Amino acid sequence: MSNVLKIIQTLPASLVGIIVTNILLIIGFIIGKLVMYKAENAIKFFAYFSVFMCAFFVAYFVSIIWFSLSNLYLGNAIYAAIFPVFLFLPFITGHFATYEKVHFYTNIQILTLIISLLLALSFI
Amino acid sequence: MAQSLDFEFKHESNCKRAVLLFHGMTGSPFEMKKMGKALYDADFDVYCYCLPGHGTSPINIKNVKWEDWYSDSTLHYRTLSSKYEEVYLGGLCMGAVLALAIAAEYREVRGIISLSTTLFLDGWTIPWYNFLMPIGVHTILRYYYSFPEREPYGLKNEVLRKKIAALQKRNTEALDNYPMSCIYELLKLSKYAQKNMFKVQAPVLLMHAKEDDLTSPKSAEFVYKNIGSNIRKYIQLEDSYHLVVMDNERDFVFQTSIDFLNGLSSYGPKIEKLPPVEDDIFTESAGL
Repeated sequence: MSNVLKIIQTLPASLVGIIVTNILLIIGFIIGKLVMYKAENAIKFFAYFSVFMCAFFVAYFVSIIWFSLSNLYLGNAIYAAIFPVFLFLPFITGHFATYEKVHFYTNIQILTLIISLLLALSFI
Repeated sequence: MAQSLDFEFKHESNCKRAVLLFHGMTGSPFEMKKMGKALYDADFDVYCYCLPGHGTSPINIKNVKWEDWYSDSTLHYRTLSSKYEEVYLGGLCMGAVLALAIAAEYREVRGIISLSTTLFLDGWTIPWYNFLMPIGVHTILRYYYSFPEREPYGLKNEVLRKKIAALQKRNTEALDNYPMSCIYELLKLSKYAQKNMFKVQAPVLLMHAKEDDLTSPKSAEFVYKNIGSNIRKYIQLEDSYHLVVMDNERDFVFQTSIDFLNGLSSYGPKIEKLPPVEDDIFTESAGL
């Protein structure tokens, strides 16, 4: 455990931000997917749930921009160019999504988040 | 169930003029019924139909696009325009936006009553976290989020407020929440209407509550400033919230609408014709 903490301390804060928000979003979407139809009438629950998810998205986007800009500043052009793709994917998924296929598109969203998480972990 | 909420108030005699009313987002023709009755009593045939996805369950509304509302409404408009010499449009909230969008396409619309026009969601009951809405509406989250309807339910009148709250629990006449997907479609319709506002040539009467809880008077002001029509009138209501057709000033709203339409009609009682607007001083306040 102490080794893990030591590794985390050596990582740039933006990369930690990407990893943490990624995990939170993945967990959030899985929970949302599982309870969506079972708790269709729990409007307040979904209202707060969505607000938190939006806030996580904001943190996720900020972390990505921060990570990319710092890499650009350090001259790591490839690193800087990879992550911004994930800024657009939630909106592209959202554009094509329909209520009838909401589970399918939620899976796509989770998949893109997992890819971004794996990519972030590969920088460690 | 949706069919039973529709209403058609027709005179037995061959009436030459009709008003097609559109209800608001997550509402139903129920909310327009009193206005319909008032217009009918003033010798207009009145029609109001449930918009696609409305009047049934919250799930159905998540499956519709703004194009469905628009095509369904234009279909009703075309049917009426083939039967009547004068067809007027009237709408509340999203219904007002629909009426304006249709008038932009069909220049022969004779007049528009635009009540609580909802181009922007910026009223005082919109939650503080509204700044997150762009992320909510443009991602998959729009199918998860519903904005819960809360006090004052668009009504300043407290007695009516309790009745509406009870109706919303039944989720037929009106829903007790605004699904984010529905807001997303409304915003797309609003964008379309804003883009085409200059094409609207029909005379328009705008009535908007100063303290509208859902959408501030900014929406009505936008229409007033950008509409192509040179006959336009904007009245700010002092003692109502969003549901102006039910709230404290409903009788004033009905009478003003009737006077406005009679002023445009060739078949109604002889009323002084409305002059074209030359500048922005035509804005009035109900001041009741």
